[in-house]
Amino acid sequence: MRILTKTSLYYALVSVAVFLVGGILFYTTMREEIYDEVDDQLFTDKENIINYIRVHDRLPNVTSGISEAILVKEANMAAPIMEQLADTLIFSTYDEEYIPYRRLTFTAYQGDKPYEYTILKSLMDFQDLVESTVLAMLWTFVLLLIGLFFVNYLVSRHTWQNFYSTLYKIKRYRLAQQEPLQLSATNIKEFKELNEVITSMTDKIHSDYINLKEFTEDASHEIQTPLAVVKSKIELFMQSDNLTSEQAGMLSDMYGAINRLSRLNKSLILLTRIENREFQVQDEVPLQEVIKEQVSILQEFAAVRNITLQALELEEVYLKMNRGLAEVLVTNLLNNAIKHNHDNGYIRVYLTADKLCVANSGAKLEEVPDYLFRRFKRASAAVESLGIGLALVKKISEVYSFRYEYQFKEEHKLCIHFDSRS
Amino acid sequence: MKILIVEDEQALNSSIVDYLRQEGYTCESAAEYTAARYKIIDFDYACVVVDITLPGGSGLELVRLLKENSPETGIIIISAKDALGDKINGLEIGADDYLTKPFHLSELNARLKSIIRRRNFSGQKVISFGDLEVIPDSADVRVKGKKVVLTKKEHDLLLYFLSNQKRVVTKESIAEHLWGDHIDGLDSLDFVYTHIKNLRRKLMDAGSTDYIQNVYGLGYKFSDA
Repeated sequence: MRILTKTSLYYALVSVAVFLVGGILFYTTMREEIYDEVDDQLFTDKENIINYIRVHDRLPNVTSGISEAILVKEANMAAPIMEQLADTLIFSTYDEEYIPYRRLTFTAYQGDKPYEYTILKSLMDFQDLVESTVLAMLWTFVLLLIGLFFVNYLVSRHTWQNFYSTLYKIKRYRLAQQEPLQLSATNIKEFKELNEVITSMTDKIHSDYINLKEFTEDASHEIQTPLAVVKSKIELFMQSDNLTSEQAGMLSDMYGAINRLSRLNKSLILLTRIENREFQVQDEVPLQEVIKEQVSILQEFAAVRNITLQALELEEVYLKMNRGLAEVLVTNLLNNAIKHNHDNGYIRVYLTADKLCVANSGAKLEEVPDYLFRRFKRASAAVESLGIGLALVKKISEVYSFRYEYQFKEEHKLCIHFDSRS
Repeated sequence: MKILIVEDEQALNSSIVDYLRQEGYTCESAAEYTAARYKIIDFDYACVVVDITLPGGSGLELVRLLKENSPETGIIIISAKDALGDKINGLEIGADDYLTKPFHLSELNARLKSIIRRRNFSGQKVISFGDLEVIPDSADVRVKGKKVVLTKKEHDLLLYFLSNQKRVVTKESIAEHLWGDHIDGLDSLDFVYTHIKNLRRKLMDAGSTDYIQNVYGLGYKFSDA
C-alpha cells in the first residue's frame, strides 16, 4: 500500500468519525432547538386559550392559533389532565403515512367546567430539516474525499516526487554498472538525508565491489605468466630422455592439472571481461551462420557418441552483439548438450526470430535448474567439465538482456529469448 | 636461423629458448624493452617472439620498429591478456601471429615454423621425414612418392607432428591445436586418440613406417628412431 493511500485512508476514516459525531451532535442540537420552539408555540397557544376563556368567559374558536390543530372536549371530571407534553404519530390520509406530531394536552376551566384541550403541531418540518442536513453533510463529505484525492495527487506529484525518483533509481541500480548512483537533489530534509545515506552506502559498496573485481581481474591476469612458466617447464621436462614411467605419470598428472587450471583461468577472465562489457557490439551477427559453423565443428564430437546433432529450424536471425560472444554462447549451449547426453541420443537446435532453443535427450536433472547456471556447478561429478559453460551463457544473456529458460518435459530444453520483454 | 625472444619473465624466457635451441635455432633473449630495442636495431632475426607488457615499454612498439627496420622478420606476440583489442592491434601493425599465455611450447614452435616456412620459401617447401613428403599448404602428402588422402584434421595433425619432430607432444596441446577453444569441457583427448589412430593407419596402409610413438601416456612423439 502506498504511503499516500495509507494516509488518505486514515484521513477518510477520521473524516467519517468526525462526520458521524458531528452529525449526531448537530442532530441532537437541532432537535433540542426545534422541540423548544415547537413547545414554545404550544404553550403560547395554551396561554392564549386560557386568557381568552378568562377574558370572554367562553370557549374560543378552536381553529385559531399557531398550531395545526386544537381539539377540545369535555374533560373527565375525576382525573383531569393538567398538563401533558408528548410525541405522537397521526396517520395522514393525504400522505398515507404516519406523521410525527408534538402534542400538548391540558385542561382549561370555563367557570367550573373543565375542558380538555389537545394542541397538535406537526414535526414534519423538523424531519425535512434533518433530512436536508444529512444530505448536505453527505455532499460535504463527498467533496472532502474528492479534495483529499486531489491533494494527495498534487502532494505525490510534488513532495514525494524526489522520493519516488530515488526509489526508481535504486531499483534500477546494478552494482556491475560502471557509474555510481546519482540521486537528484531535493530540499526536503528527510529525503535529503535519505539520499545522502543511500549515496554514501552505495558508494562504499560500489568501491568495494570495484576493488574486489579489480583484484580478481589482476589475479587472473597475473596467474597467466606463472602458469605459462610451469607449463613450459613441464613440457621441457617431458622432453628429457631416460624418464621412468613413474616420473612420466607424475608429469602427466601435473600437466593435466596445469592445463585444467589454465583453461579455468581463461574462462574466468572471459567471464569477467563479459561482465565488464569489454566486448564491443559489432554489426548484426547472423546467428544462423554461427550455429551452422559450430554445429559442423561439434558434429565430430557428437558422432563419436552416436548423438544426432541437428539444426532442425534455422530462421535468419541477426542480433546486435559481439560475434565472438555469439560463438561462445552457441558453443557452450551445444557443448553442454553433448556433455549431458547419453549415447545414441539427440540434440535438436531450433532458431526462430525470437528465441534459440537447444533440446537434448538426457537423464532428468536432480538439481534446481537455476543452480546449474552458477559457476562451478555441475550436474554430475562424473563428467569432466569446468562447470563454467552455463555461467558464461548466463552472463552473455544478461549483458545483452536475453532471457534464458530451462525446461524439462521428456527432454531437456534450454532456450534463450532474444526479446527480454516477451 | 636466429630467433629473438623478448619476455620479461626469466623462467618462461629460458623455457622458450631451451625448447627452440633443441630445434636447432640460434636463440637470443631480451628481458626488457631497451635491450630488445637495441638487439632489433643491431641484428637481423628470422623471427621475433615478443611479449606485450615489458618493463620500459610496450611490445607493440617493438613490433612497429621491426616492421620499419626489417619487414621480412616474422613476429609472434605472446601476451597474458586475451584481449581481442590487443590481438587485432598487434596483427594490424604487422605481427604474424598472436598467442595467449599460457601456451604450449609445441604450439609456439609449430607457429614459428609455419611463419618461417611461409616467409622463406613462399609456403612451397617440401617437408621430408623418412618415407614422408609433405607440401604444407597444398594438403599434398606422399608416402614413398604415393599420394595419401588425409582429412583436414589429419593433415593438421601430421603437420603439427612434423613441426615438433622427435619431441614429446602432449594430447592436450594436440587437442588445442586442432580445435582451439571450441571443445572446452568435452572429452577431447579421446578424439585426439581417434585421429591419431586414423592417421597412423592411413600412413601405414600406404607403406610408411610407424613414426608415431606413444610416450608413457604423456603424449606422442613423431620419430624414426
